[in-house]
Amino acid sequence: MKKLSALFLVLAMLLSLAACAGKGGAETPDNSEGTYKVCNLVNGNLGDKSFFDSAESGLAALQADGRIEYTTIEMGGTDEDQPRWLETLYEVSEGGGYDLIVCGTYQMPDYLKEVAEKFPEQKYLIYDDTTYVGDCANVVNVSFKQNDMGYLVGVFAGSMTTDTGVANMNEDAVLGFVGGIDSPVINDFLYGFILGAQSVNPDVKVDTRYTNDYVDTAIAKEYGFSMINDNKCDIIWGVAGNAGNGAAEAALETGKAWFIGVDSDQELTFSADLAAITLTSGLKNIGDSLVWFFDEWDAGRTYWGQEINLGIAEGGVGIVTDKNFATYASADTVAAVESAMASILDGSVVVPSAISDTSGALETLRESVRP
Amino acid sequence: MLDFLQTLFRADFFFSILRITTPILFATLAAVIVEKAGISNIGLEGIMMISALFGSLCAYWASSWIAGLLAALLVGVLVALLMGVFAFNLKTDVILVGIAVNMIGSGGTLFLVKVITNLTEGKALASTTSLAVSANQIPSISIPLIRDIPLVGEILSGHSLLTYLAFALVFVTWVLLYKTAPGLNLRAVGENPHAASSVGVSVLKMRYVAIGLSGLMAGFGGAFMSMSYAAGWSQDMVAGRGFIALAAQAMGGGEPLGSMFSALLFGFAQAFGIKLSSKGVDSNLASPIPYVVTILGLLFFALFKRRSGSLRHRAHKKGASK
Repeated sequence: MKKLSALFLVLAMLLSLAACAGKGGAETPDNSEGTYKVCNLVNGNLGDKSFFDSAESGLAALQADGRIEYTTIEMGGTDEDQPRWLETLYEVSEGGGYDLIVCGTYQMPDYLKEVAEKFPEQKYLIYDDTTYVGDCANVVNVSFKQNDMGYLVGVFAGSMTTDTGVANMNEDAVLGFVGGIDSPVINDFLYGFILGAQSVNPDVKVDTRYTNDYVDTAIAKEYGFSMINDNKCDIIWGVAGNAGNGAAEAALETGKAWFIGVDSDQELTFSADLAAITLTSGLKNIGDSLVWFFDEWDAGRTYWGQEINLGIAEGGVGIVTDKNFATYASADTVAAVESAMASILDGSVVVPSAISDTSGALETLRESVRP
Repeated sequence: MLDFLQTLFRADFFFSILRITTPILFATLAAVIVEKAGISNIGLEGIMMISALFGSLCAYWASSWIAGLLAALLVGVLVALLMGVFAFNLKTDVILVGIAVNMIGSGGTLFLVKVITNLTEGKALASTTSLAVSANQIPSISIPLIRDIPLVGEILSGHSLLTYLAFALVFVTWVLLYKTAPGLNLRAVGENPHAASSVGVSVLKMRYVAIGLSGLMAGFGGAFMSMSYAAGWSQDMVAGRGFIALAAQAMGGGEPLGSMFSALLFGFAQAFGIKLSSKGVDSNLASPIPYVVTILGLLFFALFKRRSGSLRHRAHKKGASK
């Protein structure tokens, strides 16, 4: 017993020595070569065909251009891995060898805040989260313009819905929107969606339903059935987390409608049956927004301590244009989507946002386009 | 208004009532059986969630919905029996065990799915939807003859195998409880365990039988959720149906047939809410309808019971004064 406790003491001493050495080694990173050293922390594993893979591809492109050198650390995604997330954040911050530490998703802000406050010299970037914007002067929050994304999806859907040459499309210009909760963030998607659809088809109708949670796939499926059977919707956009996929199942089962995914390319993550009826997905491009971020940094524009809200102009959001999109979209539809993108880029179209909108304009619009 | 009534009285509305009722009905039967033995199993929600996960995963591994269904049932029974060990042998409060199972049903399934499949990476919400293909889903059955009857055929034919089974099990449960010796013992244990044990009924054994059967029923409900209603398991997908079932059991007076009707009432209320929202009624208003129905139902049930109770009381008095 005595020996054991002695051993522990020795270990403890060694560890604290090592920790001191680690701290002593922390220096401001050397940036003389002009390449940034970046650490990409993945609170999960690569291969998710979603946010993490997107971030990785953006960083890989930057490295291929010789602009950064990066290391990706996969920290695992379970509850037991969570202590490791904090540990790893501390480790890479203490090492001091990185110009920027990148992490993301709604699961990271608490850990990041704790560590970022202890290392004010270290710079951090967190994507798809705005929990603590402005709390730390060394953290930049990257968020995405859902309304811009919605506009593109709306233009696409509005143009497709009357294209009766495509299987399952009926003559009625009725679209469906299954939202999670009647909240500003979800309505931001909807606002763009309706306006985009109206820009190509002024008489379009949009049937909006909310599942009131993000988990009840079955109720979303019932709403999907109702949209298709009662109101002749032929395209449904699901923006309700997992529940949204219920709408895709309704489209598959009735064989009368199509589905559009959100956030990442859902054709890649669905089973073959569901992927076959998914026309496209609205995208948050984590990778492209990281590239944009380094462009800005090189140009001397930095956003530490702020939120940067990226839309189409920055490449932050977009729409999937290969696979089913390429197969089914007519030349007119493709042209409509491209011109919508161009008009947002040149500023001739500015999509209003439902976030911090208190005028009730969206509610009026939503009711006016009900089928 | 006329337009709305036309939408309402279409076959797909009644069809959807039966579909929505199915998972609630399975869980309601589970509650009916277990309450008859004097046990409150509030862990039905959790059991359904765990069964839904294993059903979906085993259907994928074995490429067979039968294997998935059997796995869901087995897991349902095992979890229920495990609850029994804690509640009956280790003397834990059965309500606390139920709460624990519900928590495992939510967080534990997420953990398992990560360990087993790695499908949760970087997702705010996890699901096994990518593994579920139509061939491994529980099939829908088109009934010959009945399907040719106009309207009735459209309403009654073409449901999932489990939907028919759910309604058949209402009758089976009634027979089990009222026409068999184990059923009598089970009810006796629920009414008065001391009396039951004095005539040689093993109270512990009957309690295990009851909670095991409730696990079986909840297992069917879970399998329906992930292998028929939705394609694949997703986190928290049972979404309160296990709790609604407890209310349905209470509203139905704890009897199989009455509870079936109250489960149907929930199905009706939800289907009605969905139809309302198709006519432009805000879905925020439509979605609480099932819960409002629960409260009203329980209120009417309580009033009715009080009235009939006092009537019986009066009749009793009259009989005594004669």
